Amino acid sequence: MFIMVKMLIINWSKSSENRGLTLIFRFLFFRMKNQLKTILLALVICNAIACSPDNEEEYILINEPLQLEIPANFPEMVYDISKNPPTEQGFALGKKLFYDGKLSANGFISCGFCHEQRSAFTHHGHQFSHGIDDLEGVRNAPAIQNAAFMSQFAWDGATAHLDLFPIIPITNEVEMGETVSNVLAKLKADGAYQRLFANAFENGEVSNENFFKALSQFMVMLISSNSKYDKYVRKEDAITFTETETRGMEIFQQKCASCHKTDLFTDDAFRNNGLPIYPGINDIGRAEVSGSATDNYKFKVPSLRNVAMTAPYMHDGRFGSLQSVLDFYANGVRDSETLDSILKQNNRLGIDLSKKDKDALISFLNTLTDETYLNDKRFAEY
Amino acid sequence: MIAKYIKPLLLTALISLSACSSDDDNSAESLSGENDLTIEFDNGFNGDDLLLGASTYTNSNGEVLTINRFNYLVSNFVLIDSEGNEYAYPKDDSYFVISEENEMTEVHLTNIPAGEYVSVRFGLGVDQEKYQQGAEGQNDAFLKTAEDNEMMWSWQAGYKFLNFEGSFTSATVTEATDFKIHMGSHGTALDNYREVEIAMPTAALVSSTLSPVVHLAVDANKILDGAHKILLSEAAVVMVDEVKSPQIAENATSMFRVDHVHNGENVDH
Repeated sequence: MFIMVKMLIINWSKSSENRGLTLIFRFLFFRMKNQLKTILLALVICNAIACSPDNEEEYILINEPLQLEIPANFPEMVYDISKNPPTEQGFALGKKLFYDGKLSANGFISCGFCHEQRSAFTHHGHQFSHGIDDLEGVRNAPAIQNAAFMSQFAWDGATAHLDLFPIIPITNEVEMGETVSNVLAKLKADGAYQRLFANAFENGEVSNENFFKALSQFMVMLISSNSKYDKYVRKEDAITFTETETRGMEIFQQKCASCHKTDLFTDDAFRNNGLPIYPGINDIGRAEVSGSATDNYKFKVPSLRNVAMTAPYMHDGRFGSLQSVLDFYANGVRDSETLDSILKQNNRLGIDLSKKDKDALISFLNTLTDETYLNDKRFAEY
Repeated sequence: MIAKYIKPLLLTALISLSACSSDDDNSAESLSGENDLTIEFDNGFNGDDLLLGASTYTNSNGEVLTINRFNYLVSNFVLIDSEGNEYAYPKDDSYFVISEENEMTEVHLTNIPAGEYVSVRFGLGVDQEKYQQGAEGQNDAFLKTAEDNEMMWSWQAGYKFLNFEGSFTSATVTEATDFKIHMGSHGTALDNYREVEIAMPTAALVSSTLSPVVHLAVDANKILDGAHKILLSEAAVVMVDEVKSPQIAENATSMFRVDHVHNGENVDH
């Protein structure tokens, strides 16, 4: 059932050109959705601008709010979606931006260039992600799922707000090498983007605010919560764990979960896990942002969701397999002034793990792979 | 077309009317309406004019500086009247870049309510509240101005509050060596945003006919040679330093002083 209210606003154009008259039609659709007395008010503004001399009218799509369900086993969302509620058109715009090389100086490097869906939005086969002009960074592109539940972004927490995150790769000289203002100028000059922004936002403007909001809408929707593990803990589909997986989960809870906390598998904290310094690259991590020597070599604890898909591992991608990662925690942790105290207990460095423990852990970590998310068409480039 | 002729007539009438009334009594109570207030940031160095890339300046740390860049962000302007009432300029429009090299040395505040303002408070940099606004806090014009004036960091999503660059020599550094002082907040780890409140020697009068210019004298010497002594010989590049960056932020708040106030109509100073 539709009730349609039509308002006509006539706006005299100030342009000195012959097409002096611009008509803006605003339609408000109050749509009653489903018959269970739940009324979903989708307030939609549709701008149709007719500026051709014969007053040909062009109608633009109706924008619908997107459902965003918080998985039952997740903590509370950090991102304030009341300030930027995802909509069909906002999400579609965000996705187009995510996959558009226009965001970079040479027009080829998009966000999706280093964040490929089939590798859980990481840069498969690249230890260091390479960006514009084939320049190489010093860090490995991290997975980006469940960003709406995080309070720190990038390996060193270079921003604490998801909306502002895109500034970092856009302006980084070895990633996209652009300026935010230049990206905006390119989008403003693009007819397709003008329409998409008009569809997605009430004020219809191609602005920084709407640009960041659209990208956030896309990222907020990138929720991975349907792995075998999730179904197991939520008791869905009668999923059971094998003996090894169960043992792996127990070891994980005992020896890993103090940092890889909650069902997000990160505590969002910065820690030094005792990696030997990479020869030739003295990446001090969090200390680069904080300026504090006490933060030297600390990096954000990464989520382990889809970890089987995100090799290579660590902030610098030095390990090619989960086996190597566990071997490192068992035998390779180096002491230093800022080594996390958790890795310096019981008169030993690192984590006490037997061969059997490691095998069980790997089985468990494999249950964190979320095929639904990895194959979700909504997020796919093509 | 008719409006074109009527408008100036009306304006003249209005101006003459209010001018008459303010003749009688120039106290705060008679000030009415609103107008612009301009704050001029006149950059100098310890009493000397600041000449980029030209003069050398010697500070009390025994270092001789040539300055090539002196840019900073000022924000969150509040005007305080003689009775202590505060007028906060709308936050969204209250961020400005001052750049000596690009001759951006004025902050133009519009629609200020009439009053007798005796002091001004403003921030040096960008406050955490602004960062936490996320996308909503990103004003196109300000972000572009900041990018155009080298006031954004590329490795973190933040602004440089102060960009002070040049070269120096000292007793131990005899060859001219480049220095770079970039100060801003360190993500959420360290907030280097500071506010400063400075009194005016004479009140700035705002009314429908009065649009004052508040002339600040800004002393760039204070950055290194303020309450904290920052030695370039020790570190010529200070960008994110847990100890020195907050000291530089504090030093920088002491750069500002109101030198004089121009009161009047359409002040062109």
